[in-house]
Amino acid sequence: MSDFARQQSEFQRGILTGDDTILAEILDSPQETRATLFGVYRHAYGSRLVEAVRNDHELLHLYLGDETFDEMGHAYVRARPSEHSNLRWFSQGLPDFLKSTEPYCNHPILSDLAALEKALNDAFDAAEAPVVALEAMAGFAPEIWNDLVLQPHPSARRLDLATNAAAVWMALKNEATPPDATPLQVPSRLLIWRQDTTPMFRELAAEEAMMWDEAANAIPFGVLCEMLATYHDPDGAAARGAGYLHGWITSAALTAVSAGD
Amino acid sequence: MNVASRLPDCPAATIAGRAMQSVKPPFLGFGLGLRAQHYDEILSGNPPIDWFEIISENYMLPGGRPLRTLDRICERYPVVMHGVSLSIASTAPPNFEYLQNLKDLAQRAQPKWISDHLCWTGVHGKNLHDLLPIPYTEEALDHVVSRVQLVQDFLGRALVLENVSTYLQFNNSEMTEWEFLSELSRRSGCWLLFDINNVYVSAFNHGYDPLTFLNAIPADRVVQFHMAGHSHMGTHIIDTHDHPVCEDVWDLYVAALQRFGRVSTMIERDDNIPPLDELLLEVNRTRELAAKVLPAGKLAE
Repeated sequence: MSDFARQQSEFQRGILTGDDTILAEILDSPQETRATLFGVYRHAYGSRLVEAVRNDHELLHLYLGDETFDEMGHAYVRARPSEHSNLRWFSQGLPDFLKSTEPYCNHPILSDLAALEKALNDAFDAAEAPVVALEAMAGFAPEIWNDLVLQPHPSARRLDLATNAAAVWMALKNEATPPDATPLQVPSRLLIWRQDTTPMFRELAAEEAMMWDEAANAIPFGVLCEMLATYHDPDGAAARGAGYLHGWITSAALTAVSAGD
Repeated sequence: MNVASRLPDCPAATIAGRAMQSVKPPFLGFGLGLRAQHYDEILSGNPPIDWFEIISENYMLPGGRPLRTLDRICERYPVVMHGVSLSIASTAPPNFEYLQNLKDLAQRAQPKWISDHLCWTGVHGKNLHDLLPIPYTEEALDHVVSRVQLVQDFLGRALVLENVSTYLQFNNSEMTEWEFLSELSRRSGCWLLFDINNVYVSAFNHGYDPLTFLNAIPADRVVQFHMAGHSHMGTHIIDTHDHPVCEDVWDLYVAALQRFGRVSTMIERDDNIPPLDELLLEVNRTRELAAKVLPAGKLAE
């Protein structure tokens, strides 16, 4: 290892771990000690990364308050140093961190809230793709509808939450007092996507969530309707399937519909 | 990585010793750093700003509003790309995925030039997301020259590199920062982004006269000025970019105009971002001072 490389390793170690070995290679300034000057870099590192997490998770910040959020943010920075060249991706691991780390894992509302914010952030700058227009559906003859395969827009993603994080998110967004955090008997099934440039989410009924997930696996429309029929009212399954499809198309959540192979 | 070793038909000495010969980027006038807070006002009002500098990483994204907005800005204004993660002075292997993303963005935005900083941001797969200082040694110079040459070859264009604000100096430095920058530019062919605020900050922090720095930089290599604000901590100054440009830095701008002549200049605000009108006042001041300091007709050439 070159001397330059060794020095950079020591410098980085000094910032990440608090080790002071590098100070032996740094000069005092005319007005200040080397320890204080190196401290500028140490402090900037933590505060810049916590700020990045705060920018990505405004409502989690609002929910926790400044002090608790900062404490959590610094714990995240210590546990998961950035390996990304773009600060945009630094907080991607936050939901997982909150789900797996004491004391945050004892409050599952936190990882759920972070996961919802992450999904909305990811939808915001997800890849561009065409959206299916309702008029395009008229081009498919009735006899091939059973074979139609639906392709979600790249911004669309599903998220299951174990808590009432969606209601908490909504209250915080509207500057209202959030409801108490509550575990749910049945998971809250969300669809998150981008409509034009705006990230959106809505809750899906159990059968609509199932249909979306299976549609994303390229299961054809006819089979999706058969699957819907197992939930309730078999005779109305095709109409319900068409209704869900209509909703996805009008909200710009699909990028393509094709007649299969 | 030794580029020459991958090109067996080219004499290694020729490859390693060359400087990229490139046409000096054009004078763009007086610009501003593009920030999301001003998107709507810029697109609806077409404010009188000659050009915008974008933070490259803010647009190295799959899609959505940032890139759509960038496309619209690029239709109306000249743009330059300014990165913070090139980490040109890092001793870690180059990040070719980052470089490819940078190249793809340049293909989209068609910037007048691409700049980043003379610094490193991390080693061992980590990124500290800061502009970290280097020792000014022959070893570091050789390393950075070879990295600049590699990046310029990869991008197919000359880089523009900026002097960063530093808070400390290493005891093994063998030359001054201005000697390092001058030699780097001469040997690699990169152009220089002269950050006037950063010179002021570093000069205060290390106890030298900013004019010594300014007067030692080769005038023909400077293609851009940055103007920004900082936070004075008493014993040291931190380059926070969250305040208006201070009067001392405006004075240094006048000295820079006298030495370097007509140079594309922009106001850089990254935090505590005020309304666009407030920043336009600073942009106008850069323009007015240039008109006052430069010989008659020089600005319009």
